[in-house]
Amino acid sequence: MASDNALIRIEHLEKSFDGHVVLRDISTTIHTGDVVCVIGPSGSGKSTFLRCLNRLEKPTGGHIYMDGIDICDAKTDIDRHRQKMGMVFQQFNLFPQMTIMRNLTLAPMKLKKIAQAEAEAYADELLKRVGLSDRRDAYPGELSGGQQQRIAIVRALCMKPEVMLFDEPTSALDPEMVGEVLNVMKDLAAEKMTMVVVTHEMGFAREVASRVMFLDGGDFVEENAPEEFFSHPESDRLKSFLGKVL
Amino acid sequence: MWQQFQADFYLNFVKDARWQYLTNGLKTTLIVTLFSALMGVLLGFLVAVVRSTYDNTGRLKVLNTICNLYLTVIRGTPVVVQLMIIYFVIFASLRIDKTLTAIIAFGINSGAYQAEIFRAGIQSVPRGQFEAGRSLGFTYGQTMFHIIMPQAFRVCVPTLCNEYITLLKETSVAGYIALEDLTKGGDIIRSRTYSAFMPLIAVALIYLILVLILTKLVSILERRLSRGVR
Repeated sequence: MASDNALIRIEHLEKSFDGHVVLRDISTTIHTGDVVCVIGPSGSGKSTFLRCLNRLEKPTGGHIYMDGIDICDAKTDIDRHRQKMGMVFQQFNLFPQMTIMRNLTLAPMKLKKIAQAEAEAYADELLKRVGLSDRRDAYPGELSGGQQQRIAIVRALCMKPEVMLFDEPTSALDPEMVGEVLNVMKDLAAEKMTMVVVTHEMGFAREVASRVMFLDGGDFVEENAPEEFFSHPESDRLKSFLGKVL
Repeated sequence: MWQQFQADFYLNFVKDARWQYLTNGLKTTLIVTLFSALMGVLLGFLVAVVRSTYDNTGRLKVLNTICNLYLTVIRGTPVVVQLMIIYFVIFASLRIDKTLTAIIAFGINSGAYQAEIFRAGIQSVPRGQFEAGRSLGFTYGQTMFHIIMPQAFRVCVPTLCNEYITLLKETSVAGYIALEDLTKGGDIIRSRTYSAFMPLIAVALIYLILVLILTKLVSILERRLSRGVR
């Protein structure tokens, strides 16, 4: 991989809560167009790792460079930075008091000063792609979980981010709704969107990821291309984890 | 019996236009309640924002300490005592209008209770809402204003309205600084006519009717607000 298209460079990232270490010395690079799936047992720190990338959790050590700027630096305008990083949560977190359209256009209009007509046109275009055009005037509470999560993905996309962060996007869904959300994510990957996905969906990781990272107990144990990762795990910790989940 | 009632009624309300003590008193009560509620909203809102900001981010430490002191003192002492301190101690040498004094005293008092209502409303919004706002690139203030406050407000409205109903009744102690509110008006009639039953029952009925009207309005508002959400 060429180093000139490095989008996010993570160096010796550390995070601890009140002396309890959650992430230990994590270094890796995410390139433009990468789909990185992060897997590991619960409590391994994979969600914390993802949340450090847009500083929802403040790292206690190390550096994260995006476009050459250190996100961990207190002087960095993190709000500006977050506009370039879309995030999708396990619990969707749509704004319940707003219509779907308002959910989608609020940030582009308020933060990027995009005119309403333009913001709505773009939102409509994306809604069409995820097959939810008819729900544009509904409220989040009227939608199924799968629909809400697809809207949450569109909401992040409306800011035209450079990278999308997914924090267990299908874990709160009923099984029959997982597929519709994964399909939207597959389409995104096919369009070369850079994605970091914390997930338990091994099938998705195997099929879509360009790289799979394995975290265990706060350690970055190993990473590899999915084929190698799943068929020839190197460390005993990954072998034992895969033995349990596959 | 009926004639006795008529005579009593005439004595207490009609003679010397005594009913005016009630209407003028009612006017004063409504003015004091309305403006102290407004003052309390402003005060309460500011205090709640300071306290929530401190809780969430650790900023505004000094202001937060001041707010806590305010809440502790105001909620820990009776409103009548606060009213008298403001009138007889703080404003003693100033010739400030009694109505204004009452508005300030009840406003400061109500602000402390409304602050906690607002704060509970803000805390009731799930943390994920806050994170969703921040992750889109909104600042702390923008997230509060565009995303958290509108949701907190919906939660608060019924409780706030109940606070205003309580406030309306609490202003009845304004007579302690000789402000002629509704209660004092009834009491003046009683002292003129030496007949306690009619004026006091009339005062009670007026409060009751006001409270019933307000309660009805709150339940209509509550139904409106719950429409469309979840």
